[in-house]
Amino acid sequence: MTVSANDLALALKTQALASARRLGGEGDALAALEATRFPERKTERWKYTSVQALADGHLNAVAAGDLRQPLPALSESVVTINNGELVTSSLPDGVTLHHNAPAVAGLETPFAVYNSAVARAVVLEVAANTRIEQPIHVQIQAASDAPAHCNPRVIVKLNNGAEATVIEHYHGEGQALTNAVTALITADNAHLTHYRLQGEAASTLHIGTLIIDQQGISQVDSYQLMTGNRLRRNDVHALVGKSGAELTMKGIFVVRDKSHVDNQLCVEHRVPDCQSDQNFKGLAGENGKAVFNGRIHIHEGAKGTNAELSNKNLLLNVGAEINTKPELEIYNDDVKCAHGTTVGQLDATQQFYLQSRGIPAAEAKRMLSLGFVNELLMALPHETVAEWARPWLEAELTHARPAGEGAA
Amino acid sequence: MLEIRDLHATVADKPILKGLNLTVNPGEVHAIMGPNGSGKSTLANVLAGRDNYEITGGEALFEGKSLADMEPEERAQAGLFLAFQYPVEIPGVSNMEFLKAALESVRGAQGKEEWDSVTLLRQARAACKQVNLDASFLKRGVNEGFSGGEKKRNEIMQMLLMEPKLALLDETDSGLDIDALQVVAKGVNSLRSPERGIVLVTHYQRLLDYIVPDFVHVLSNGQIIKSGGKELALELEQKGYGWLTGEEESA
Ligand SMILES: Nc1ncnc2c1ncn2[C@@H]1O[C@H](COP(=O)(O)OP(=O)(O)O)[C@@H](O)[C@H]1O
Ligand SMILES: [Mg+2]
Repeated sequence: MTVSANDLALALKTQALASARRLGGEGDALAALEATRFPERKTERWKYTSVQALADGHLNAVAAGDLRQPLPALSESVVTINNGELVTSSLPDGVTLHHNAPAVAGLETPFAVYNSAVARAVVLEVAANTRIEQPIHVQIQAASDAPAHCNPRVIVKLNNGAEATVIEHYHGEGQALTNAVTALITADNAHLTHYRLQGEAASTLHIGTLIIDQQGISQVDSYQLMTGNRLRRNDVHALVGKSGAELTMKGIFVVRDKSHVDNQLCVEHRVPDCQSDQNFKGLAGENGKAVFNGRIHIHEGAKGTNAELSNKNLLLNVGAEINTKPELEIYNDDVKCAHGTTVGQLDATQQFYLQSRGIPAAEAKRMLSLGFVNELLMALPHETVAEWARPWLEAELTHARPAGEGAA
Repeated sequence: MLEIRDLHATVADKPILKGLNLTVNPGEVHAIMGPNGSGKSTLANVLAGRDNYEITGGEALFEGKSLADMEPEERAQAGLFLAFQYPVEIPGVSNMEFLKAALESVRGAQGKEEWDSVTLLRQARAACKQVNLDASFLKRGVNEGFSGGEKKRNEIMQMLLMEPKLALLDETDSGLDIDALQVVAKGVNSLRSPERGIVLVTHYQRLLDYIVPDFVHVLSNGQIIKSGGKELALELEQKGYGWLTGEEESA
């Protein structure tokens, strides 16, 4: 069933509103949803991503399926959220889980607005001046045989001088749409290491927003690894909000077969003397399609900003597609801003060299693809994540996943 | 083991080899010399199966099989090895994982016993030592940031591990100082055996002081215009190539 984009936008809004009312949405959040518009044919920020898949009616039902292959725990500290509901948690001293959620700044997509109207947030709050040694593994899972969705919302809050590592890890099966909002809020002298691991089944959908809200002079290091699926939309909005704050984001995305990833990143510098550094690499094979839109917005008052963005991409064959675009909005002269984006192909000379040593062509391609992102894999600071990431990537690069199968 | 008959080949559609004949039997060491641009590297690349290097006439048989019908990796699996004149850098792929993949494939295809990772590491370290390459090079990206001489020694190190039936060395001597040259020569000489063929492509006769060839051929304008014993190399050293090619040349 294909419907026109504008009819679909209206239908999605009707569905979202009905669902929000059923799920008890009220007040300002519901009013915001009433005022929002879902992506239409000419909506600039959705130019590369069709939400046509949602014509199957994902927003009409909440996912309630059983997980066939739930995630293994990557740490002793685990929080499990299935189909949007908190199931279990096991947390060390110094970390409190509660539902008293602060308002989240910087949410933009209509899907995030919908999430705000219905989700019951899981807040993980790290006490002031506390260093949490063990990474906290937040498992966000969804399963549904029929089209359905869920609305997980996770807020990580580091108080003054807190230090922690959070592994935000998605898993999806069947036809589930995960409509996620995650916010990372850091106070002065906080240091957060964050992972966002997204290897859901190719048949699933994911529309997610990540907010990084550096309210204090803090350091956030975020590592984002993702696989394309039927529809993956990834909005990242970082607010580097207090002088002296530092942000690094590194990421790898892989689209194979007919899968899709649309990354919309925006790093916003509002105050003087902050640093941000982004390094993302993309790989696309078969008819995979990826988008990377990296915006750096430096406000007039943000003098002394140092912002960098790099996005290099590799097309594994003819037919794959990656669109990358840096977008700079700079409103003062006293900044350092470097950016570079490239889209290239496998180097024939390198490939021949490997083959001339007996390595079969497909294996040579896989090795070169892994080599392309190796510096980012090597940069992962936690062994547990690195041990997850390497086989994940090897599997992604070894075979195209037929849509409708597979696990995280 | 290598039988090249009236070979014609093009590089990017440009005719370079124009009727080349060469036979290499097991146990023999051949040197191919010739002026720059005469087609020496083209011959090596054609035999190894590089893209854009196309056989347009004649044939090249390796142990009776036509190389033209084989993928580059199949040629390596069959026992052909080319030490490149300009080894490419491959950042992000470590020398060790590269060797592991190469040896697994080649040893597997040749029915040799599989090396576990401990054996592989031991063998690789020994091969490094043989060519005076620090074992730390195994951890680095393939040829990444290696000096010219280190790249050449890395090629020989790989060759020692792969134990090819036929080794082609393309100007492995160029850019080496005398010590490195001796190291490389020792490595090659250690592979000399009655079952193995070796073809040395070189511009200078210097290498041949250390690896004494059984036959010397002069390649000019895509053909072998003269063949002889090791004394031919000395003659070339004295007279240059001009007396054979009929051209002035400076190198
Ligand atoms: N990739 C290429 N594209 C076009 N011409 C080439 C290429 N490689 C080599 N040639 C040409 O082929 C001829 C032979 O080169 P080469 O085999 O490298 O000579 P040699 O190794 O004997 O110095 C030269 O004229 C050279 O310019
Ligand atoms: Mg040459």
